[in-house]
Amino acid sequence: MKKTILTFVILAAISISALAQSGTKLVSKKTHFKFYSHTTVEDIEAHNYKSVGTIHTGTGEIIFSVPMQSYEFEKAKMQQHYNSPKFLDTKKFPKSKLKAKITNLTDIDFNNDGSYAANIEGELTIHGVSNKISEKATITVNGSSIVLNSTLNLKLADYAIAFKDGKPSSNIAKVIEITVVSEY
Amino acid sequence: MFKNKIIRNLLILVGVIILAGGAVGLYMFNMPHRDVGATKTDYALSATDIVEEYLQDSHSANDKYLKEDGDSKILEIKGKIASISTDFNDQKVVLLKDENAKAGVTCTFTKETNQSVENLKTGQVITVKGVIRSGASYDEDLEMYENVNLEKCSLK
Repeated sequence: MKKTILTFVILAAISISALAQSGTKLVSKKTHFKFYSHTTVEDIEAHNYKSVGTIHTGTGEIIFSVPMQSYEFEKAKMQQHYNSPKFLDTKKFPKSKLKAKITNLTDIDFNNDGSYAANIEGELTIHGVSNKISEKATITVNGSSIVLNSTLNLKLADYAIAFKDGKPSSNIAKVIEITVVSEY
Repeated sequence: MFKNKIIRNLLILVGVIILAGGAVGLYMFNMPHRDVGATKTDYALSATDIVEEYLQDSHSANDKYLKEDGDSKILEIKGKIASISTDFNDQKVVLLKDENAKAGVTCTFTKETNQSVENLKTGQVITVKGVIRSGASYDEDLEMYENVNLEKCSLK
């Protein structure tokens, strides 16, 4: 009898912890990363539609893997500069990684339609350099579709991306904006 | 008189050099993107072969296929269509992947070449030409295999 109760208690404990851990890991269907740099000289934009990401509705984990050569610039020369070993060195570092977690997961109801404000904390690795990030995101639930929107402000110097002299140093902002849209 | 002529010729020469420099600069600044479809193919291989090559040694594969300026190798990939979708830029995306393969090749077409995808069906075997932008690998954080990423695609 005691054994039965014990088994029952253990089973209940397991299922409760499983419930707390439940939720699913969703894979992105489509994504858009936009790079935007503003200076008084010129505005530069680049677009990347090839990132892959996951979001775990149970743990709040958010992952993105970004293929760096997929950033498209309007000007071919600019794209070559961006890829070159002087700047992003995309041959050596072909992918960037965002590994983060939603810190206010209880505020987000993945099962009910609505728009939720999420706080995200984690680590971003670009150009082989990792930094802690803390940003805000919006998670929009609409039926079975979940869309994440966020804007990251990155200081290029933090990622050892230096424009010491010449045109790039005056034409590229020190802090650039990355806008993220991901549909799961 | 003779001296004036030298100065005049010198001024003309300087003027020509400045103009030529400006023209080259302007050309470089406005240089068009490489036309992937019209450029010679570097390697022709199957989707399974390139995925295997990457899974075995991604460093040497990146060394072989990626270029420092981003104008990476142009590939012709033959494979079976596993899925067809559309990205946020309204570009058609065709995944070439064998049923039992760990990863495949994601081929992204362009607004100009999208139309050629319209009559394609899953299961069909096709050959796609495009530029490689990233290779296949297992990502521990995503807990899944990432596909080879081919862009500026057109049907062969």
